[in-house]
Amino acid sequence: MEQKYEEEIQMLQQEIEMLEAEQEETLRSIFIEHGDRLQHELLCLVFEEGGGEQDLSILITEVRELEKDLRRQTEINGIALNECFVKTLHKSERKLVQQLRLAGHCSVLLFQVEFAVTEIQEDDALRRRVTELNIVVDGVEFKDFSAFVSRVEDTKDLLLFFRTLRTFSERCEERRQTFQHFQEKYPDVVSLPEGCRSELMIIRSPQLPGTSMTIFWKIDVSMEGVVKPSLELLLKMSDQAREFDTKKVMENGSNYFQSLLQILGVEASIEGLIRTMFVRSHKTSQRSRRGNFIPNLLFDINTCTITR
Amino acid sequence: MDGVLGHLMALERDGMGQQDQHESQRLEMLKVRAVTLRAQRDQLKHQADAVKVRRILKDKISKDLPLDDVDAAGGFIDLQKSLLTAWRMQLKDLQRAHHLIGGYDLVECKEGKSVCVSFHTAFEGVYLETYNMELDLTRTVQISRHNIPPSFPLESIAKQILQKDLKAFLQTLSQKLNAFAGRRQQVCLLKELVGSVEVMESNQLCNILVLMCTAQGETPKAVLCTLEYGDLTQCLPTRVSIECEDKTLSESPQWKKNQSLLLESPAHTALLTMRRMGSIA
Repeated sequence: MEQKYEEEIQMLQQEIEMLEAEQEETLRSIFIEHGDRLQHELLCLVFEEGGGEQDLSILITEVRELEKDLRRQTEINGIALNECFVKTLHKSERKLVQQLRLAGHCSVLLFQVEFAVTEIQEDDALRRRVTELNIVVDGVEFKDFSAFVSRVEDTKDLLLFFRTLRTFSERCEERRQTFQHFQEKYPDVVSLPEGCRSELMIIRSPQLPGTSMTIFWKIDVSMEGVVKPSLELLLKMSDQAREFDTKKVMENGSNYFQSLLQILGVEASIEGLIRTMFVRSHKTSQRSRRGNFIPNLLFDINTCTITR
Repeated sequence: MDGVLGHLMALERDGMGQQDQHESQRLEMLKVRAVTLRAQRDQLKHQADAVKVRRILKDKISKDLPLDDVDAAGGFIDLQKSLLTAWRMQLKDLQRAHHLIGGYDLVECKEGKSVCVSFHTAFEGVYLETYNMELDLTRTVQISRHNIPPSFPLESIAKQILQKDLKAFLQTLSQKLNAFAGRRQQVCLLKELVGSVEVMESNQLCNILVLMCTAQGETPKAVLCTLEYGDLTQCLPTRVSIECEDKTLSESPQWKKNQSLLLESPAHTALLTMRRMGSIA
């Protein structure tokens, strides 16, 4: 008698597991097929006040709350997920194996991450591990990112990837804003040949042909996820100008720039560099017309003035 | 004899009676469980059948056919229900995704007067401890409760960043907690996987590790490896020193290589490699 019940119970449990799995899959497939249309059609239902049927109103409230919470998480985590596909490969009382495919962005940086996660409920704790990890990143900022991505895929360190992505995107954003700011402020002198999201900024004055200053603002990411921005200055002078370079500005220019950076910080240092071009061109436009120009970019680091 | 036998028989009867009671209780429990499960199964089946009906309506939607027939009217609410349920499932999946990628799982408490955040840690794909913290937001941002280990320099980090930039504070804390969990995990792993190496010294913050290995050779020699983790945001040491009574051993190219290994890879991985190469026991 007991046995008969036990058998029935086991059979029912299996049936239920199967039906629940089917239901999840159906719901997910409905969302995949009709996601956009669905949100469009139901948007008014969900986001306006007013009832609707009893059952529906409970669902509507739940969906509203979940949307609110999702906005909260997106804001605090700094990561926006546009796509989320979940496939449950195995689900039992003590074990869950899922594959997830996520796509989204962190500020302007796009990513696509596929990973598999296994959860085993042991007596005292839930053991969870990432068993597969594939990452694709897209964007001009990522040109030196691949060593880090390979390492993170090998070590399955999903969390490190996102922590690093956040920090990296903050540094990229700082660079982009600074470059854009200077281009807007001094459009005749500053150019961004590869766009404001790249690492290059060139400072040139039409009054000083053949002379230019190129700033390389690199953002390095080590294999362990350490994000390190670094700035370098490259000076170019016309041969004519170089003849008069008694103060060896070509040689020492980049070192001067490094010292400036340490004292004034990035924005002020770049502003200083740009202004030398202006000062030059205002003061010496006469001379340059006569072709007798002596560029003598000497920064007095202590007083931050430019003298000849 | 009669008395004893009689007594024994009475006991036997009682015993059986209890067992009977036991059995009938258990039978009852099983019966109830079976009935509950049957009901659950039936409900799921009913929902699945209803979905089949909705498939017709779904088809209509995808073909942009009008949904205002009388037929569809009743089913329309059902359709909305299943669409909303699907939407809810997607939102829950997204919540889980944020959780799995190490999000802070921020929860508002006390009507917005405070928030609770979680710091998830992981090392080499294995999720480790989760640390929680409640932040009071009434006047300034203050930490009201947390379960971060006391050896952790939480106060100094909070003093530096918390008031200026909450997100930066969370990011720095998450970074350092993950590095800490990683270093601690390496000690566990090396104890588990490399039994021949003895941990001589380690501290709460796991930023110093002194190991004793046995170098292979004609006569096995004890080698002391000291790993200093100067950067608390990292799982790898900033300095490794090798000490041995036999100076030629610690200066040898093999041990110079071992020193690099210990600097460039996690402790347990480095030691396993060293053992595999026959450098240590």
